[in-house]
Amino acid sequence: MHRLSSVEEFLSFQKQITDSPRTTKPTLVVSAGTCGQASGASGIIRIIKRFLIEHNLQEQISLRITGCQGFCEMEPFILVEPGKHFYTKIEMKDVPRVIEATLSGKVVEDLLYRESEHHTSHINQDDIPFFKKQKRIILGKNDLIDPIRIFDYIKHGGYLALAKALMTGNPEWIIEEIQRSGLRGRGGAGFPTGKKWELARAAKNGKGQKYIICNADEGDPGAYMDRSLLEGNPHAVLEGLIIGGIAIGATKGYIYARGEYPLAIKHALIAIRQAREMGILGENLLNSDIDFDIEIVRGAGAFVCGEETALIASIEGKIGEPKQRPPFPVEKGLWGRPTCINNVETLSNVPVIISKGADQYSKVGVPGNSGTKIFSLVGKIKNTGLVEVPMGTTIREIIYDIGGGSVGNAPIKAVQTGGPSGGCIPAEKFDLAIDYDTLAEAGSIMGSGGMIVMDENSCMVDIAKYYMNFLKDESCGKCYTCRKGTQRMFEILEDISQGKGTLEQLDLLEELAHVVADTTMCGLGQNASNPVLSTLRYFREEYIEHVIDKHCRAGVCKDLVGAPCQAACPIGTEAWRYVAHIAEGEYEKAYLAIRETNPFPSICSRVCDHKCEERCRLGQTGTDPVAIRALKRFVTDNVDPAIYKPERTGEKKSDKVAIIGAGPAGLTAAHNLSLKGYPVTVFETDSKPGGMMFSCIPAYRLPREVLEKEIDSILDENITMQFNTVLGKDITIDKLFKDGYKSVFVGIGAQKERRLKLEGEESEGVYPSIEFLKAYNVNGEQLAKGRVGVIGGGNSALDAARTALRQDEVESVNLLYRRTREEMPAFDEEIEAAFEEKIVVETLVTPVRIITENGRVRGIECIRNKLGNLDNSGRRRPVPIPGSEFIVPVDTLIVAISEQPDTDSISPEGEPELSLTEWGTLEVDKNTSSCSRPGVFAGGDVVTGPNTVIDAIAAGRKAAVMIDRYLRGEELWQQGQAYLPKVYVEPYSSDSADSEVSQRVEPEQVTREQRLGSFKEVEMTLSEKSAKCEAIRCLRCDLEFTQPKTEKTEKVIVRTPEVVEQ
Amino acid sequence: MNSELIREIVDRNEANNNGLISTMEEIQSKFGYLPREALEKVAEKTNRSLVDIYGVATFYRAFSLEPRGEHLVSACLGTACHVRGASLVANEIGKQLGIEPGETTQDDKFTFETVNCLGACALGPVVVVDGHYFSQVNTSTVSDILKKSVEGFDKVEVATDERIFPIEVSCPRCNHSLMAPDHQMDGYPSIWITHSYGLKHGWLRMSSLYGSYKSEAEYDIPENQVINFFCPHCHTELIGAADCTECGTQMIPMIVRGGGTVQVCPRKGCKGHILDL
Repeated sequence: MHRLSSVEEFLSFQKQITDSPRTTKPTLVVSAGTCGQASGASGIIRIIKRFLIEHNLQEQISLRITGCQGFCEMEPFILVEPGKHFYTKIEMKDVPRVIEATLSGKVVEDLLYRESEHHTSHINQDDIPFFKKQKRIILGKNDLIDPIRIFDYIKHGGYLALAKALMTGNPEWIIEEIQRSGLRGRGGAGFPTGKKWELARAAKNGKGQKYIICNADEGDPGAYMDRSLLEGNPHAVLEGLIIGGIAIGATKGYIYARGEYPLAIKHALIAIRQAREMGILGENLLNSDIDFDIEIVRGAGAFVCGEETALIASIEGKIGEPKQRPPFPVEKGLWGRPTCINNVETLSNVPVIISKGADQYSKVGVPGNSGTKIFSLVGKIKNTGLVEVPMGTTIREIIYDIGGGSVGNAPIKAVQTGGPSGGCIPAEKFDLAIDYDTLAEAGSIMGSGGMIVMDENSCMVDIAKYYMNFLKDESCGKCYTCRKGTQRMFEILEDISQGKGTLEQLDLLEELAHVVADTTMCGLGQNASNPVLSTLRYFREEYIEHVIDKHCRAGVCKDLVGAPCQAACPIGTEAWRYVAHIAEGEYEKAYLAIRETNPFPSICSRVCDHKCEERCRLGQTGTDPVAIRALKRFVTDNVDPAIYKPERTGEKKSDKVAIIGAGPAGLTAAHNLSLKGYPVTVFETDSKPGGMMFSCIPAYRLPREVLEKEIDSILDENITMQFNTVLGKDITIDKLFKDGYKSVFVGIGAQKERRLKLEGEESEGVYPSIEFLKAYNVNGEQLAKGRVGVIGGGNSALDAARTALRQDEVESVNLLYRRTREEMPAFDEEIEAAFEEKIVVETLVTPVRIITENGRVRGIECIRNKLGNLDNSGRRRPVPIPGSEFIVPVDTLIVAISEQPDTDSISPEGEPELSLTEWGTLEVDKNTSSCSRPGVFAGGDVVTGPNTVIDAIAAGRKAAVMIDRYLRGEELWQQGQAYLPKVYVEPYSSDSADSEVSQRVEPEQVTREQRLGSFKEVEMTLSEKSAKCEAIRCLRCDLEFTQPKTEKTEKVIVRTPEVVEQ
Repeated sequence: MNSELIREIVDRNEANNNGLISTMEEIQSKFGYLPREALEKVAEKTNRSLVDIYGVATFYRAFSLEPRGEHLVSACLGTACHVRGASLVANEIGKQLGIEPGETTQDDKFTFETVNCLGACALGPVVVVDGHYFSQVNTSTVSDILKKSVEGFDKVEVATDERIFPIEVSCPRCNHSLMAPDHQMDGYPSIWITHSYGLKHGWLRMSSLYGSYKSEAEYDIPENQVINFFCPHCHTELIGAADCTECGTQMIPMIVRGGGTVQVCPRKGCKGHILDL
């Protein structure tokens, strides 16, 4: 490599390679940072090279290998320049197609990036939402540069800032530019970089010897922008370090890099070597009178060494313990000399500021916080990766616009910023514009820029415990309060997560957190309390649930959760247990395990929303969850329910209980009270029991004979059914008490349809979905005729649409929904089935006018929507597009936009009123299900609004317990307890090779032809073979709690960490 | 214990003012751990007390005072991996190996460790075995990873791996082909060049398969020896390429037929190479 002997020579060399005719050949760009290589980028690169050589295409296509470009989720990818076609998650077999298309100027449609399978693909990378909202001043260079080639860097303006600084020949000017730019330290604390340099320059101590250190000890778990910068553009860090060295008068620079980043260290080493050879680094660099060289020091894995005084101790070969400041390192640092320490990202900003000028630079960002910040967006987020945004961008923009929102079905509940020293910010604060100061006010810190997104499956106590575990291990031990305080905080958090915590401990935890923050010396201890204090501040409720209810709502804390499937079930069904019995072929035992808690197993095996599967650990670790509902169906279809003999737990009692509503909640309550010996009367408006299960769920999902048989099986001599009895007309709560009922359960559901509030809604042919479904399911009346329009996207809209399609005089069915397909609240399988049945689904449309003729509906005018700003749920608001109105001709219009309880009938004039919530549902005490009137309890949809069968069953079970306690005069509320697996079922042992992991089985469905015009059940039962295969997939999370303990037989060499008690 | 080697490491690092940590890192990379004798030697050479040296050795996570297994399995427990179920993966690894994090299996095959963050957060949960990264690991892929690590990651099936392919090269000076069709290696014509080191001078053949590191030479070249390469036709020394990305030695250039250059490291045992098209 030619050694450059002056700034002028550098500039002419720079001009020469910049001006050299730019290649017009298309270029394939592959990112191969640590993450790219881990995803298989190296293989892709080899295949590209192979193809180019084999087909002699070297002259027609170029290849560039870069560091991490930020969109790590999509790796390995190929970016094709100049069209910026972005091919994601490429496999080796795709390479020839990409090259061939590139040669002929085409694109490979199916490999282009798209947000989801329902979106169209983006031709140009710049149009991808992930990139569109970013401002990639620093990170964008990674796309252009092969990090092991200094010429690439120089070609894109590299070292021009250094040349400018040398030509100016005035270190004060550099410092002034940096000060005017407003650059603040990107390592986390946000100290003004210019100020630090000024102090270091002014420092007199040290006989002229000074040092500048690049802090690349990126220890925050979850943050990796420094790795990416050092790996992807090491010369920029070098350039920043050299300029800083010149500014403060240092002759030696260090890069203190994490040992866990081998590739970053390798690239930095190569860069230093190349810069030295070209005369950019070393004695009299570029023939100036400046000597400056850089050395790399590998960190040996201690988080505290990110703290500047500890880092210095570590370079000096000592234990990495922080020192009391002052004196600050800028006065007395490495080997006692003035030392300036800057972070990787800070230094990467320096060349940009010097090249562009401070004024230009400070235009980005907000006053007091200029420039951009790189965040690593990780955790439960769709678009994981590094994002660079101007300071002052809101969290909502980062998480939803750029990050694409939640990765699964669970909504996002918080974001953790700043690593172990930071805090959690709840979703309702996502409008916070991020900078150093706003984050501190919100109880967190910027830190190095880690953003860990958490959804409803993340437990905040667990997160606090995770960080405290980390901090107690990483505390250097010098300050007593940090050493013992983090340990003690961890122990309290562990107690809480194990259900052993008390409210007093919670107070102690808070007090301790403040003490540790106030009495420790370095940043580690001072910020160690942030994870605890911020979660206590925003998620105290979750802590209390752990302490009082012994419940972890996220299903994370092992000792409270047991098996996640069981914990997820509102009635605590031991899913693991019946799945284990199925694996062994013990179907009757499996049935009993289900029936013990669930009075309606056959019904649930068909219509349950299977929360157990959402929480299944198999699903949480990358594969599909066990098909628990389908397995339940297999059992209930194959076992005679008569094998279950209900256990009566109480002698006959005289206190009568009235149940209003024979839906799943009411029937479950009646059943459980009857088993306890209470005489129960169930009052029902309709002529048959079942409530919504009967009147709304169509027979093709839930055959009537299954429903009737199951309900019949629970009715016994203690239960009196009284049909055709309307609350508010035939009975009132007052009257029931007067008639001698000692307690009343209200389970009337939510049966009042919300209206569109459009003119013509009263016309003939317009029906609320419940009325429409009831007419058919109860009376066999077919209300739908001709062309049918259904408005809504929930389960009742889908039920109405699919029921209408099966009616005799129906020609076609159109479903109209105002948001997008992904946002439809209906079950996925229902939506899929609707598509299969050729129901036309129009999304992003809102009805604006009902067209009538002679009092009968003839059509519906709709307006198309586009997606607008995000609402609080993180979904985009549908915004009407003016002038996009269109008419859908219909002969029947079914409105299914939501239901609410008909509460008018509950408290008629002159009776004590039961309190309602602001949503028009009945208000109950969440712990005891009791209403505002003593003796009255409620549950099911009337309390929750439209909800699932299993939640109603759970409400009925709970009400039965509470009513029993009430009638016995016991305290209603009692300390919660965790339900852990108790029964040991031997794990399935395979003696053959079939232990290989198989795919999740899905039940077969009858064909579309068989479905049309018939209410035959659509889903079929699993075969015995499939059921067994599926059951074997279960990870058996229960065994951890039930397996008899055996002594470890194998002897191992144990390397115990040294614990030094002082 | 090779006290000569330790002395050499300590002296070199002291001379470069590198500090104790670099010294220990180098010792550990040579022995796989920090033997007591080595620490004693370091204390003696640096005039520091053994307690002091022991303090540093136990403070940093990267150092081990016990021998490690043949394969090092590290499960990342960084926050991003944690929220994606890394602890389940770590438990599974522990279960399958029958050891806890920090322990080594009885047969010395595996050492299992957990690490705080590997900076590959987008791919969590991440497991690294002997420097090879595995992304989005779940409990059911653990056994496969362990199996692969026993087989060895460098093992490539030259015949079947599609990432391995032949290239034809020529001398950058006289452009004469360096291929030797009559001497096949890996089933393809080999690359034929002459080499020298010290007073030795002779032929050398390399496999022309990109991805195969097979070579044969007239003499047994000692490990780490940097050798000079010459064109067998015009006898020019092959020099003037970039520095090796692995070890920094200046590499040797050759022209790839059809366009491009390939550069290989002339240090025996180093696998550094660059193929530019």
